[in-house]
Amino acid sequence: MMPSLLREPLLYFVILGGALFALFNWTGESAGPEDRIVVTSGRVEHLAAGFERVWQRPPTQQELQGLIDSHIREEIYYREALALGLDRDDTIVRRRMTLKLEFLTADAAEALDPSDDELRRYLEQHPDTFRLEAQAAFRHVYLNPERHAGNVNEVAQRLLERLKAGEVPPEDVAALGDRLMVPAEMALSRRGEIERLFGRQFADGVLDSEPGRWSGPIESGYGLHLVYVSGRRDARLPALDEVRALVLREWLNSRREEMGEEFYRRLRERYTVVIESPASTPKANSLADAR
Amino acid sequence: MKSTNLAAIVCTAAMGVFMGSFPAQSEHVPPPTDREIDYSPYPKEDFPNSVYFGDTHLHTSYSTDAGMIGAILGPEEAYRFARGEEVTSNHGLPVRLARPLDFLVVSDHAENLGLAPLIAESAPSVLANEWGKRIHDLVKSGKGLQAFNEWVAAMSSLDNPFAGDTTMATTAWKRITAAAEKYNEPGRFTAIIGFEWTSGPNGNNLHRNVLFRDGKAEADQIIPLSYYDTGDPEDLWQWMADYEAKTGGRMLAIPHNGNLSNGLMFDDVTLTTQQPLDRDYAERRRRWEPVYEVTQPKGDGETHPLLSPNDEFADFDTWDKGSFGSKPHTEDMLPREYAREALKRGLAYDDKLGANPFKFGMIGSTDAHTGLATTTEDNWFGKVAMLEPTANPIRFEEVIIGRVPADRPEETRIRAAQTAAAGLAAVWARENTREAIWDAFARREVFATTGTRIRVRVFAGWDFAEDDLYRSDFARHGYAHGVPMGGDLAAAPDGKAPALLIRAVRDVDGANLDRIQVIKGWLDADDNTREKVFDVVWSGNRRPGVDGKLPPVGNTVNIEEATYTNAIGAAALQVYWKDPEFDPAQRAFYYVRVLEIPTPRWTTIDAEVFGVELPDSVPPSIQERAYTSPIWYTPSG
Repeated sequence: MMPSLLREPLLYFVILGGALFALFNWTGESAGPEDRIVVTSGRVEHLAAGFERVWQRPPTQQELQGLIDSHIREEIYYREALALGLDRDDTIVRRRMTLKLEFLTADAAEALDPSDDELRRYLEQHPDTFRLEAQAAFRHVYLNPERHAGNVNEVAQRLLERLKAGEVPPEDVAALGDRLMVPAEMALSRRGEIERLFGRQFADGVLDSEPGRWSGPIESGYGLHLVYVSGRRDARLPALDEVRALVLREWLNSRREEMGEEFYRRLRERYTVVIESPASTPKANSLADAR
Repeated sequence: MKSTNLAAIVCTAAMGVFMGSFPAQSEHVPPPTDREIDYSPYPKEDFPNSVYFGDTHLHTSYSTDAGMIGAILGPEEAYRFARGEEVTSNHGLPVRLARPLDFLVVSDHAENLGLAPLIAESAPSVLANEWGKRIHDLVKSGKGLQAFNEWVAAMSSLDNPFAGDTTMATTAWKRITAAAEKYNEPGRFTAIIGFEWTSGPNGNNLHRNVLFRDGKAEADQIIPLSYYDTGDPEDLWQWMADYEAKTGGRMLAIPHNGNLSNGLMFDDVTLTTQQPLDRDYAERRRRWEPVYEVTQPKGDGETHPLLSPNDEFADFDTWDKGSFGSKPHTEDMLPREYAREALKRGLAYDDKLGANPFKFGMIGSTDAHTGLATTTEDNWFGKVAMLEPTANPIRFEEVIIGRVPADRPEETRIRAAQTAAAGLAAVWARENTREAIWDAFARREVFATTGTRIRVRVFAGWDFAEDDLYRSDFARHGYAHGVPMGGDLAAAPDGKAPALLIRAVRDVDGANLDRIQVIKGWLDADDNTREKVFDVVWSGNRRPGVDGKLPPVGNTVNIEEATYTNAIGAAALQVYWKDPEFDPAQRAFYYVRVLEIPTPRWTTIDAEVFGVELPDSVPPSIQERAYTSPIWYTPSG
């Protein structure tokens, strides 16, 4: 509980990134904060014990290192905050804070204004975030296993043959099969839209089906479906123009995180860190060992 | 001659013959007609054809009672999470929704909005205020809990430490509306602007969430009304009317937790003036509060076992130990606290006053104070940050109701194990946009679920037949010849009774359905309110027993492993039902309740994950459910 309350002000501290760091330098603080941090073995044990209370098992080596790193980070920020006099009330502090607040409330797009080239590069580097989902347009005939006691597969196969052979006039297709409260037909829809109505398995099946003919049966959580895909669009990476606003938003998020990291890195350089080896070393190196 | 030339001549000649055999084309073209030809049915189709699921009641770090006790996720993280991204919880756990929500309302408390994050930034608007500075310093020196308690004291005595100074509120509000605009993506995800007005006279819950139909441009013209300003809902409605007049925008309010109001939520008298309800009050309430949040972590408020003794499903997540205040809860308060009873009493008021003050649709939501809109049993991240998943006993044992007075007996307390893993709001709309979703709330075409994505549809009309269930144009027919949930029927034609067409499907990723029920409430000839629950369709071959009750569907839950199977129940159910007891002279309402088969409760899942003991205070498995908004029948004359 307490650590998270302590972390809170520092989170916003981090967001400032370079701006505050520059400000910090400008104020000409020559005598830096005490720049030696010792992580005692007692502290390491304390961190491990806290972890164990939550997860009912000791942390792995990696997890423990993560806890130690977080602790060091917190300690550095805390000292910097004190050094900056964030606990004091004077004109210099007030001016710094005004700048801080202005930075935060100012329109981020104005403060950071990336070029189209930069955004395009970001887009290409993060295809998974921006890729437009595959789309399909289809109609389907649904078969409820409960209404075809035991032989729904045969019923499906027979119906499929009839449909493939063109034996059913188009206007009668809607009356085939069983009723279900899902659309009988979907216009070109994204994978996500199909999934939210029919589930992932069905969406996969539809997007794998060859357009222009009846196929199936494809299984969903509701039963079996015969499917006629009438249109398809593959997943593709959009051009910047199509998604510029979205790319800008994600780029700004990334930049803010990077700036925070950079800020921390520069602070960290000014400290010497010593970690004492705890009395009891973690026994496990991986999660599998820990269980 | 070259063969190509010959071919050319032959072709031309052939074409000549060919063309010659056709008289002027125009003789075979049908003459112009005056008939309107409508080929494609879709351009004119304007009725709702999709269900959208969302949360209308989420708190982030910007709510002071969340931010000051460990919530660090703000509106941006809340929207990202709702849209399906993985985020890190307030206590460092990675968390992600199994399926994104379609819409979200970040509805932070108006009372000292934004205090926690602005303290974190040491914002001038906080430091300029003497009280703010003191609290800020307490937080910075590691005494956050003391700071929180000081805020609670100010709040309890309704002594606004920032009275007369709206700088902080304005800053916070503008960030909130900005976040909504940033993540609002018409067609894909809707971010609805909102806030919570947290009225709680003597600790009795009268909270309302206010939802804007509008965007930042309109919303920024006000700052949210808070409990410091007023605790009377009539003042809230006046403020809402003023907003609409000033901005041209629209808003509506959604109350919740009547069960924690000690009888005030659906009272027979007005709050401040203590006057009996009149027609004007009824019309205003009906207009500003078209929907009620009936199910959420602090109890399911559909009905109470004492109010509905014949309803074997009435005792579900029942929180009836009173409010946050110190005054004990008494049974006479119950009729003024629960939805079904309020709907019934609304019929009586309609008869007496000519307007129904309790004419509300129903939805569910999270009221989570974590920024994480989690609603399923297997992903419940708790009501507040400190109750996020952990083996720490606090997750089950933290006292939620009955903290004051300190010596309150255990049986009047409610602890965290009893929180329900949140509800969901579901709307029927044509597209996923702010306007379409808000409009669905306004016309009450919405339903509540207790956290899963059951989808249910109902039409009521005078001329439906059983065959209509099988129509391929089911919805179009339903809208054309009846009304959907939230609608009104009036003046029964001679000899006819309302017929309902009901369809429900289970959550595509979830548990099968047990049954569908119709709950009817009516005002009888002696002006008494009555209710009856009808089982109208169910899975399997069960038959009602001699007592008229349908046997339970069974239970596939393995408690130790916290699993269940869909070996029982049905994926979809549908039914045609006509009211067998209809009296055209009597006011009535009908709403549909859909029940799933039993699934493991979140406490059972926690026990399996963390190896802790199952709490005694709750059952190991539950049947999740959906409640539709009612359809009201009003006699003519």
